[in-house]
Amino acid sequence: MTAVDFFLSALVAVVCGLDRTAACQFMLARPIVAAPLAGLVLGDPLIGLQIGFLLELLWIGRLPVGAAIPPDDTQVAVAGTLLAIFLGREIDVALPTATLLALLIAMPLGKMGQLFERAARHRNDRLIRQAQAALAAGRTDQMEKIHRRGLLGFGGASLATFACIVLPGMGLAAASGPSLGPVFGKVATWLWLAFPLAGTAVVLGTINVKRSVTLFGTSFTGALLMLWLS
Amino acid sequence: MTIRKLTRMQLGQATLRSFFLQGSWSFERMQSLGALTVLAPGLRALYRGDARARAFRRHLTYFNTHPYMAGLVLGTVLRLEEKESRGEESYLDAVEFREMIMAPYAAIGDALFWGGLRPLAAVIALFFAAKELVWAPLIFLGIFNVPHLAFRCIGLPAGYFRGLKMIDFIQRRRLPDLAIRLKEGALILLGALCAYLVFLGLGQEKVATAWGLVVPPAILVMTWLVRKGISPLLLIFTVTALVVAFGQLI
Repeated sequence: MTAVDFFLSALVAVVCGLDRTAACQFMLARPIVAAPLAGLVLGDPLIGLQIGFLLELLWIGRLPVGAAIPPDDTQVAVAGTLLAIFLGREIDVALPTATLLALLIAMPLGKMGQLFERAARHRNDRLIRQAQAALAAGRTDQMEKIHRRGLLGFGGASLATFACIVLPGMGLAAASGPSLGPVFGKVATWLWLAFPLAGTAVVLGTINVKRSVTLFGTSFTGALLMLWLS
Repeated sequence: MTIRKLTRMQLGQATLRSFFLQGSWSFERMQSLGALTVLAPGLRALYRGDARARAFRRHLTYFNTHPYMAGLVLGTVLRLEEKESRGEESYLDAVEFREMIMAPYAAIGDALFWGGLRPLAAVIALFFAAKELVWAPLIFLGIFNVPHLAFRCIGLPAGYFRGLKMIDFIQRRRLPDLAIRLKEGALILLGALCAYLVFLGLGQEKVATAWGLVVPPAILVMTWLVRKGISPLLLIFTVTALVVAFGQLI
């Protein structure tokens, strides 16, 4: 991995991180987009797609409602892609084991993202005070300038989360990759299945739809039987 | 001289700014400063001097709604401010209106966009990702952003031109019902996607497809655990540990 790789993935982390809450919300921040984008700039979009696929299914049901801050799946996706590529290129862990191991390292480290985002939002309380002071002085022209400062906080939080996943994550990947790689490799297919199925359970456990289990169960059984017959 | 009517250019400027509504999101007042920034070009056109400063101050209060629905709210707020600047009477003033409508619109937006459209678009894109097609993210972005952008670009001008009639207009669209249909669609597709993944996995391990019927009960057990409060992270680590232990045994 080169410094350019780190720079480019950090750039993706900040752009996607801003899209998550502060700017636009075009859904570039979703794992299914952010991870392949990171993979693309690192020269391996397919690994990004695998990371995005697993993470999207795992966190598809988490909603950013009101003041709730969901896990920072964006930074886990971008940093997880970087770690998976690192495991593949530098530690010689094969796919899809590298993808699975990278995610298991990145996900708990990503919990820190919630702390940084919380800090950025608390920091923005000060902006309200600055805006009030400007209005008291009759400076209505200052509002946009004060508002834009908030973007810096969100961008900084994204970068901090990304760094907090990547830096210890690379150490953990280098330490655990050679020993856990063969263990995970033996059951890679089953692990590959376990992630989306656990994600599905989270969706069913949190979605607010009557007869959700019936709809899912019927669809699953019907589709499996059709595939078996085909 | 005070201008009493907003131009299309000013509405366009406000619409563009609404894409950065949450740029200064804070726990204390949430989207307050962002909403004021969206309204600012309009308020500057409508008021001068002390009246302008007063208008800015009354909009630097608590505001929180779904970011995609905010245009509808703020467009109507601009219309009400325009009336107020002309001295016309309305049964609701701009601040009363935004306080009354922001929570219901937030609930509609959360259910429709976050709870309905986003999972549906994601599951459809995941079928393409499962086939390792690298343009799967574009499918997701296309399905999600066409209605999203249409809603957002039209929202603020529509709120402005319809004024308070916007409430009836949104009510007649039955958006909460649409949100439920989208969620149901996402669940059905998710079931089919899981079946496909299980079918592939069993095929790779040369296990009979019929064993796939064990999966729904296993998912139900995990669903029960999630409803009991176990976090997704703990769930995935537990499942990983069980799978690895199973691999060591066989």
